[in-house]
Amino acid sequence: MISFLLRRIAYAVPVLLGVAFITLLLFDVASGDPVSIKLGKSPDPVEVEALRIELGLDKPLLGRYIDFLRQIVTLDFGTSWADDTPVREIFKRGVLPTLSLSLPAFLLGGLVSVSVSLLVAFYRGTALDKSITAMAIAGISVSSLIYILVGQWLLADQWKLFPIWGYEYGPSAVYFLALPIFIWVLLSVGTDVRYYRTVALEEIGKDYVRTARSKGLEERHILFTHVLKNCSVPIITRMTIAVPFLITGSFLLEIFFGIPGLGSTLLTAITNSDLPVVKAFTILGAVLYVLFNILADVFYALLDPRIRLG
Amino acid sequence: MTEDAPTTQAPRTPAREAWRRFKRNRSAVICLAIFVAYFLVALTGQIIEIAQAGDNTYAMTLNELGLDFEEGANPPSSDHWMAFFGTTSAGKSVLLRVFHGTKVAFVVGTFGAGLAVVIGMTLGLMAGFLGRWVDEVVQYLYSTIASIPYLLLMLALAFIIRQGPISAWYQERFFADYISLGLFNIVLVIGLTSWVTLCRLVRAEVKKVRELEYIQAARALGFGDARIMFKHVLPNVFHLVIINFSLTFVTAIKSEVILTFLGVGVDREPSWGQMIADAKSELMQGIWWPLAAAGIALFVLTLAVNYVGDALRDALDPRLTE
Repeated sequence: MISFLLRRIAYAVPVLLGVAFITLLLFDVASGDPVSIKLGKSPDPVEVEALRIELGLDKPLLGRYIDFLRQIVTLDFGTSWADDTPVREIFKRGVLPTLSLSLPAFLLGGLVSVSVSLLVAFYRGTALDKSITAMAIAGISVSSLIYILVGQWLLADQWKLFPIWGYEYGPSAVYFLALPIFIWVLLSVGTDVRYYRTVALEEIGKDYVRTARSKGLEERHILFTHVLKNCSVPIITRMTIAVPFLITGSFLLEIFFGIPGLGSTLLTAITNSDLPVVKAFTILGAVLYVLFNILADVFYALLDPRIRLG
Repeated sequence: MTEDAPTTQAPRTPAREAWRRFKRNRSAVICLAIFVAYFLVALTGQIIEIAQAGDNTYAMTLNELGLDFEEGANPPSSDHWMAFFGTTSAGKSVLLRVFHGTKVAFVVGTFGAGLAVVIGMTLGLMAGFLGRWVDEVVQYLYSTIASIPYLLLMLALAFIIRQGPISAWYQERFFADYISLGLFNIVLVIGLTSWVTLCRLVRAEVKKVRELEYIQAARALGFGDARIMFKHVLPNVFHLVIINFSLTFVTAIKSEVILTFLGVGVDREPSWGQMIADAKSELMQGIWWPLAAAGIALFVLTLAVNYVGDALRDALDPRLTE
């Protein structure tokens, strides 16, 4: 196990180095001159020189790369260009509102999708299966923006069931989060049901299910104990890989509902050309993605005894 | 063998076989027809526009076009075809904007997905066929790209292309007059970010095909790598390319909507994303028809292409031949 982990991590290191390099290239080279982005079109040359040295732009690319790697390791990404707050503070501020939306939505969505797809797999080939599958295809064909706009307009503006906009820290956040969570679940269920249904149907076609049936076991028992156990490997893998996206949050939901999380922070940073924040975001997103992929592999190996970690 | 009997019929080429299987799926054929209809709208939209009042008719209000309508928003009406979907809060024809948006969607879908497919296919072929260090490099490249969260990568890239020297370069090219900078940005962003899935699939499939006897035969005949790759291996993995193109086409159009909505996409011309972005404030004033029009246009096209994509998978997969 340990040697497997070490090998997996060793493989991730060059990938992360590559991501860091791409990020650096994207933001410091391809974007033109960061100094002119910060200081505007016709800046004072003395100021420009000072800023170049402050940002380390006078160094060669390799030097800047090493600086950036140091930033990543120490998690110190400097300060925002917009208001000089340390980037770390910005993250600390945004992470709680983001998680308060994404975590419940993710768990609820997972629960709904798995149960619906098991139900659909149980009634496979019937009208129920066909109509739910058709609904799932139709559901994923609607733009996520439409769900948000119509949900906000209809449920919050017209029927006044939920507040339209805003956020409060503490337990009263539930009041503001209910509608965005509902929309998130709606958005994720279509894709997930389609995926989990395929997974479940694949399992149902396997030999052990036929054996269980010929032993005279009840179909329901087969589905919920035998099939579900075998399906749990792809389900958990898929859910683990999705975790980093909970932290980057939902840009759209956060913007629309005024939740001061990381997603809306990033968007503000992009519109303000706030390079340090966008850069930190990109690289942290990638690091989390790589880490959780390793974790998914570990779960996969732990759950499925057929997989050897040789 | 009874196979030889119908000699008068056209020979059974793989493409014809696939089409025969595809045709059996009624709803997929209907969806294909819908797709073609959209394509025609995308082609003729601009012609209609120019015939009405010259270029950029979508930017004029119905009054400016010489029609008798109230200033500002008009609900959908059957008085004139241009008012079929009503007018926006600025008094412009929603239908014309949907038409123009269709053109934008097709440019984004075709060129964005096209670029992604070409990159993914070529890299996948090279990695799978040439193996060794090429394979290592390509694998490294796609694991790195895949590690950056998709929306983040798209946003970052869109942001950079806008800031940087690429847009300055683009503006001096002759095609800048036909495809606006915002549109070009989107195409580039989608092309450069969406090739990973296809590359993985092609690489894995080519690795299997490479070991088959006919490839060894081609090698024995002394054919070069490039010739074997593109003439002998590629046709055997091309179904992956076609299926993936249809999927990426949809993703591209949906990405345009989101990027434009977030302010880093198409600007200075109407697109579905632009219409949905405008609808945000209009909706609160009870003006629901621009959103409905753009939303339905997007929905029907997405649904049709999703369906065609599923049917293509069934029709093209060589393992499913009966």
